[in-house]
Amino acid sequence: MRFGFSEDQLQLTGAVRQLLDGELSPQVRASAEAGARRGALWKALAEQGVFALLIPEEHDGLGLTELDAAGVLDELGRAAAPGPVAETMFIAPRLLSGSPEQLQALAAGQLVVAVTALPGGYAAHADIADLVLVLAAEEVRAVPGGAAGPDVQPQVDQTRPLAAVPRGQGTVLAAGAAARELVAAARNYGAVATAAQLVGAAARLLDDTIRYAGQRHQFGHPIGSFQAVKHKLADVAVAVAFARPLVHRACYSLCYQLPTAARDASAAKAAAADAAELAARVALQVHGAIGYTEEAELQVWLKRVWALVPEWGDAHLHRQRVATALLDEPLLPCTP
Amino acid sequence: MDLRLLPEETDFAAEARAWLVEHVPAETLPSLDTREGFERHREWERMLFDAGWAVVDWPARYGGRDATLIQWLLFEEEYYRARAPRRVSQNGVFLLAPTLFEFGTEAQQDRYLRRIARADDIWAQAWSEPDAGSDLAAIRSTARRADGGWLLSGQKTWSTRAAFADRAFGLFRSDPEQPRHRGLSYFLFPLDAGGVTVRPIRQLDGETGFAEVFLDDVFVPDEDVLGEPGQGWRVAMSTTGSERGLTLRSPGRFLATADRLVRLARDADGEADAVLRDEVARAWIGAEAYRLYTFGTVGRVLAGQSLGAESSLNKIYWSELDIAMHQTALRLLGPRGPLTGHAADAADAGRWLEDYLFALAGPIYAGTNEIQRNLIAERVLGLPRS
Repeated sequence: MRFGFSEDQLQLTGAVRQLLDGELSPQVRASAEAGARRGALWKALAEQGVFALLIPEEHDGLGLTELDAAGVLDELGRAAAPGPVAETMFIAPRLLSGSPEQLQALAAGQLVVAVTALPGGYAAHADIADLVLVLAAEEVRAVPGGAAGPDVQPQVDQTRPLAAVPRGQGTVLAAGAAARELVAAARNYGAVATAAQLVGAAARLLDDTIRYAGQRHQFGHPIGSFQAVKHKLADVAVAVAFARPLVHRACYSLCYQLPTAARDASAAKAAAADAAELAARVALQVHGAIGYTEEAELQVWLKRVWALVPEWGDAHLHRQRVATALLDEPLLPCTP
Repeated sequence: MDLRLLPEETDFAAEARAWLVEHVPAETLPSLDTREGFERHREWERMLFDAGWAVVDWPARYGGRDATLIQWLLFEEEYYRARAPRRVSQNGVFLLAPTLFEFGTEAQQDRYLRRIARADDIWAQAWSEPDAGSDLAAIRSTARRADGGWLLSGQKTWSTRAAFADRAFGLFRSDPEQPRHRGLSYFLFPLDAGGVTVRPIRQLDGETGFAEVFLDDVFVPDEDVLGEPGQGWRVAMSTTGSERGLTLRSPGRFLATADRLVRLARDADGEADAVLRDEVARAWIGAEAYRLYTFGTVGRVLAGQSLGAESSLNKIYWSELDIAMHQTALRLLGPRGPLTGHAADAADAGRWLEDYLFALAGPIYAGTNEIQRNLIAERVLGLPRS
C-alpha cells in the first residue's frame, strides 16, 4: 500500500509547471484567439511529451498511465492553460485507440481534439480543433474540425468558446454496444480530467488569494490577519486538501480499469467541483472590488472554474451516479 | 501508487477480523459513562490486551505487536466495522501514550505504558478550566514546589472520563512569574489522591462523560512531571497534535459510519428521495476522501515528514463529516430519528441519535474548529497573525 507519486511522476509534474509558468503570459491566458489556444504553447507542451503520455510506445507515445497524467492535469488547471489540452491528451487516446495513425498524430501534438457529450452538439474549442469527437447514447462520431461552423456560443470563460458541431457528419467510430462502452469510458475520463483541472485551479485561486490578503491593508492591518478572512481561506484549504486524493484515486482506478472506476471518477468530480466553486467564491470575496474587474487576472481562474464545473456533469449529477453505485447496484468491496 | 495490500497486511486484517467477530459482545455494553459500564469496558480492554489487540502499533514490551501504520489503520477499520465497544482507554492509549513515548523518561514509560495498554490505569484529561477553554494558555491552576515534588491546586473542568477514571494528565502553572505559555508544567496525578474532588457533569446526552476536578494541595512527586518543568506547553501541544491528527480519529470510524449509512439508505427501499440520495453519496465520498487523505499522510510520515499544523485540516474535516453523516441518517429515519435507545421503536437501538449527539461535540473538543481555522490560516497558509 502506497498512496503517493513516484519521483518520476513528481518530476514530470514539476517540468510541466515550469513550462507553463515560463511560456504562458497573461495575454495568452486571457485570449480567445486560435493562436493562443493551439499555437506556441501547444507546440511547447508537445515537445515536453504531454500529448504522448497516454499513447502506447508502439505508436510513438510514452506509454505512461493515467497516474502519470494526474499531476499534469492539475497543473493545466493551476495555469488555466488555454485550448483543449486535457481533452487531447487524456480523453482522446481512449476514444481513438482503434486508429494507429491518429494515435501517432496525437502523440506528436499534431491532432487537436475537442470532445462533447452535450446533447445540443456544442463542444468547447470545436472552432479550432482538427477533430471533434461527438458522443451520443449509441454512437461515437469523429467530425472534422473544419465542419464546425461560425456558430460559436460564447460562454462565461471567453477563452473556451462552445462551437456547434453539425449533426450526422463525419465518420462513425463506434455504434451500439461498442459505442456504449466507449462513451461510458469517455465520461469517466472527462470527469476525471475536469476534476483534476478544477482542483488545480482551486489551489491556484487559494494561493493567489492568500498572497493578496497578505498585501492588502485595511484598518491599518493586512486583511489576511482578520479572522473572518482567515476562516474562509482555511475552509478552502480543507476542501482542496480532501478533494485532491479523490482525483488521484480516480486516476488509479482508471489506470487499472477497476470495477469502481465510474464511481471513483464521479466522487472526484463532485468533490473537485464543490472545492473549486468554494475557492472561486472566497477568492472573489476576499479580493473585493478589484476581483470584480476584467483587469485583475483573477477573473481568468474564476471563469475557468465556472466553465468547468458543469462540464461532464455537475457535482449533483455525479453524486447521483455515486448514489446509484452505492444504493442500487450490488455492493463492491471497499478496497483497493 | 499502489493501493493493493501486502500479504502481511491482509493477513493482519483477517486475523483481527476473525478475533473481533468471535469476541465482540453481542449485546451492546452499558454506557461507559456509568459506573457499571465503565468497568465492563475496562474488562473489554483487558480482553483486547490479552489477545494483543489493545495497542497493535506499540512495541511488544508494552503489550503491542509492533504493527506498521498501515496495519494499525486496517485494525481500526476492522474494529469499527465489527462495532466493537468504545475505547474507554482512549485518553491513555491515543493521547497520553504518544506523549510518553516522546517526552517520558524510561522509568515513566515502564511505569505507565503497559498499565495503559492493560487498562490498569484509565486516564482522564485535565486541560480546560472555567476561564481557560480555547484559550488554554490562560490556565490558572497552580503547581507549588514542595519537598520531592509539587502541590497542585485549582479547578479543572470538562475533564473527559474523570467521573470514573483512575488518573489524570494536564497542565498547571508552575512558575507564576512567567507569562502565559511559559511557566507551565505537565503533571500526571491520581484522581483518588488526597485533596482531589471530582464532581461529575451531565452532558447533553444525559451521560456523565466529563467532570469538574477540584485540587487542593494535591501532592505529586517529581517523577510524575512529564517533560521538563516549565516545558508543559510544548509537551501538551504534542498531545493535542496527536489528538487532532492521525491517532484520535482514524478513518475506520467514519468508513464504518458511511457503510452503515449506505445500508440504512438501501434498506429504506426507494423511500430515500433524490436529496437524501445526494446526501448519502456526499457522506460516502467524504469518508472515502478522509481514508485516502490519511493514506497520503501515512506516506508522508513514513518519509520522515512531521504532521504539524496540517492535523488541523484533519480535525475540521472529520468533525464536520461526522455531523453531516449522522444528520443524513436521522433524516432517513424520519420520525424515528429522535427516538432514544429506550424507545421500543428506535432504529439500531438509538445508536444514530446517540452518535449524532456525540458527533456534535467534535467541533468543540480537542481545540474548537475556530481555533483550528486560525492555526490553518497562520501555520499552513502563512497568513499574518492577528
